[in-house]
Amino acid sequence: MATETTTESVYGHGFPRISESAATGVGGLFSEIAWVCYRSLRKLSRNPFLLMFTLLMPLIWLGLFSQTFGTLFSKAASSGGAPALPYDYIAVLLPGIAIMTAIQSAAQSGFAMVTDIETGFMDKFFVAPIRRSSVLIGKLLADGLRMAAQAGIVLVIAYVFTLAFHWRIPFATGIPGDLLIVTLAAAFGVAFSGLSNSVALFTKSTESTMMVSFTLTFPLLFLSTAMVPLALLPGWVQTFSSYNPVSYVATAARAMILSGYNWTEIGQAFAAIAIVGILLNGLAVVAFRRQGR
Amino acid sequence: MSAALRPTSAIPLPDATTSSARPVIEVRDLVKVFGAGRGSGADSAVRAVDGITFSVGAGEFFGFLGPNGSGKTTTMKILTTLLGRTSGSVSVSGLDLDRDPSEIRKKIGYAGQSIGVDGDLTGRENLTLMGHLYHLPGALVRERVQELLEVLQLTDAADRPAYTYSGGMRRRLDLGSGLVHRPPILFLDEPTTGLDPQTRNAVWEYLRRLHRDEGLTVFLTTQYMEEADQLCERLAIIDHGKLVAAGTPAELKAEIGADIVTIRLPQDEQFDARRSRAVDVVKGVAGVEGASVFDQGVTVRAHNGGATLVEILRVLEREKIPVKEVAVSPPTLDQVFLQHTGREMRVEEVKPMNRTGFRRGGRQ
Ligand SMILES: Nc1ncnc2c1ncn2[C@@H]1O[C@H](COP(=O)(O)OP(=O)(O)OP(=O)(O)O)[C@@H](O)[C@H]1O
Ligand SMILES: [Mg+2]
Repeated sequence: MATETTTESVYGHGFPRISESAATGVGGLFSEIAWVCYRSLRKLSRNPFLLMFTLLMPLIWLGLFSQTFGTLFSKAASSGGAPALPYDYIAVLLPGIAIMTAIQSAAQSGFAMVTDIETGFMDKFFVAPIRRSSVLIGKLLADGLRMAAQAGIVLVIAYVFTLAFHWRIPFATGIPGDLLIVTLAAAFGVAFSGLSNSVALFTKSTESTMMVSFTLTFPLLFLSTAMVPLALLPGWVQTFSSYNPVSYVATAARAMILSGYNWTEIGQAFAAIAIVGILLNGLAVVAFRRQGR
Repeated sequence: MSAALRPTSAIPLPDATTSSARPVIEVRDLVKVFGAGRGSGADSAVRAVDGITFSVGAGEFFGFLGPNGSGKTTTMKILTTLLGRTSGSVSVSGLDLDRDPSEIRKKIGYAGQSIGVDGDLTGRENLTLMGHLYHLPGALVRERVQELLEVLQLTDAADRPAYTYSGGMRRRLDLGSGLVHRPPILFLDEPTTGLDPQTRNAVWEYLRRLHRDEGLTVFLTTQYMEEADQLCERLAIIDHGKLVAAGTPAELKAEIGADIVTIRLPQDEQFDARRSRAVDVVKGVAGVEGASVFDQGVTVRAHNGGATLVEILRVLEREKIPVKEVAVSPPTLDQVFLQHTGREMRVEEVKPMNRTGFRRGGRQ
C-alpha cells in the first residue's frame, strides 16, 4: 500500500521511518480518523459506569415518559375528551425520546475536549503529523456511533415492550425505517454537539460547557414538535417550533413510526441537520483552529 | 527585582547561544506576547518570551534552565508547532516553522510538562495510538511498542489502564509516546519534575542512552540545576523570557572562576544598608574577585575561598555588620544563576494545569 522511505535511522537499526504516502493519501486520512474514533470508544468502554449510564439513559427516559404520558390518548378517549386513536401516546413520543438521548449526549460532547486540553493529551494529537480536522471528525464519529446506539436501544426496547406489554406502537416502516430514525437522531446529535464543542474550546471550562449545553437542551426539545404534535402546541410555541430544527427531525421520524415514509419531511429533516451541523461545527472548527494561536 | 540589584559583571559568552555543530534548531529573536490586543490594553500583556536567539546542533543535548514562569514551556510549545508566536524566526530540522509545520512534526518527539497520557487507555494502547497517528505500518507499531515498553520497564503494567500508573511510570510512558516514531529530535519539557530521585536517575540514564547510542538531538527544559549539569552538553539560562547566559555547564561555572562565599545577613530593618555596605567592604579584601548582592545577602567570588573567608569575616566584624550564616562552595550552577539574575533559584513543585495526578482517570 505505502512506499516506505528508508532513511538511515538515528536509532541505528535502519528501520523504515514514517511511510510518506500513507500520511498524505486518503488512506492516511481514514486511518487518522479511525484511530481517534477508536480511542474515544475505547475510553467509553473503560468506564463501565459511564457506559452503563449511556445505555441506561434511553431506558430511563422511555420508562419515565411511557408511565407519565404513555396512555394519555387512551385515558382522554375513555373520558370522552378525545377521539380514540389506534396507538398510545408513547408512539408519538418515541422519536422524540430517541432524539432527546442524542441531544443529551451531544451536550456532553465538549467535556472530553476540555479534559484532553487540561491533561495535555490534546497536545499529543497536535504534535503528531495528522490533520487537525481528523481529531474533530474522529471524535464526532465516535459520538455519532454512541448516539446511534442509544437511539437504537430506545427503539429496540419500545419494540420489546410492544410485544411483551402490548404497547400500541405501529412501527409503520419496520426495521429500515427504524434505522433511518436512528440515523436521523445520531446525525442531529453530531450536528448539535458542535455547540458543546465550541463552548468547550472557547471557554476551556467544563462548567461553562455544561451550563450552555444543558440550558439550551430542554427549550430546544420542548419548544419543538418532539414531545407534543404541532396541533397541540400553544400558538407562540408553534411559531418558534417551526424555526426549531428539532421539529423537522421529530416530525419526519414520527411519521415513520405512525404512518410511513414522508420523503419531503425526511428531506427537510436532513436539510435542518445539515444547516445546524454546518453552523455549529463550523464554529467548533474555528475554535479548534484557534487552539495554540 | 529592581535593576539596581542586578549584577552587571557577567555578560553571556559571545557565541555560547549558538552551536558549533550543524544546527537542527535555529531560533532568532523569538517573541511571544500573551494577551496582546484583547481589548484590555497593553498592561495586561505578558511578554512570556522576550527576544530569544539560540541554536541547537545535530546530536546535541541542549537545555533551558529557568525558574517558574521564565518562558520555558512557551518556547518549547512554539518550537513544537503547538503555539503561535508573536515574532521571530524558527527553523527545526532545516524546515521553516510557518511553511512546513507538518514536516517538522514528523521529525520531532515531544513530552510536555503536563503528562499527556490517556489514563483510560493502557500503556500499550497509548503507545500504539501514537504509532498509528504517525502512520507507521501496523506490524512496525507492534514491534516498536513492545520494544519501548521493555526499555521503559513498563512491560508488567503494559496492559493496565494508565490511571493505575505511578507518577514515574506515567512520565516514562509519556516519554515513550514521543519516541514511537523514532524522531531525530526530542523535546522534553521538565521531564523529571515531580519524580523521586531514584526514578529521576532512571529517566536520566535512559535519556543519556538515547542521546549517546542513537545520536538523538535533545532539547530539554528544567528547573533543576543538577539535571542541567548532569545531562546537558550546553545550556542556556532563561529568566523573565530572556536568555541571561549560555554555555557548557563547565564554561558557565568557569566564568565564575572562583569559589563562592555566600554571606547571609539578618533580615532586619538595617538589612539593605548593611548589605550595600558589605558589598563595598568585601570588595577591598585581598583575593576577592567580585561581590554581588542577592535577596538574602551577599555573594563573593574569591580565590582560595577558605582563607579569604577569614579575612572577609574580620572586615565585616570591624564594620559591625552582623552575619547570620556563611558558606564556601566551589562554583555550581546555582551560583551561575544567582550571578546572572541576582536571585537564588527556588524550585516550586507546583505543576500548572496538570490534573492527572488527582484524577482517578476514569471520568474523561
Ligand atoms: N496561555 C497563556 N496566557 C497568558 N499568559 C501565559 C499563558 N501561558 C503562559 N503564560 C505566562 O507566560 C509566562 C511564561 O510561562 P511558561 O509556562 O512558559 O513558563 P515556564 O518557564 O514553563 O514555567 P514553569 O517552570 O512553571 O513551567 C508566565 O508568566 C505565564 O504566566
Ligand atoms: Mg513550564
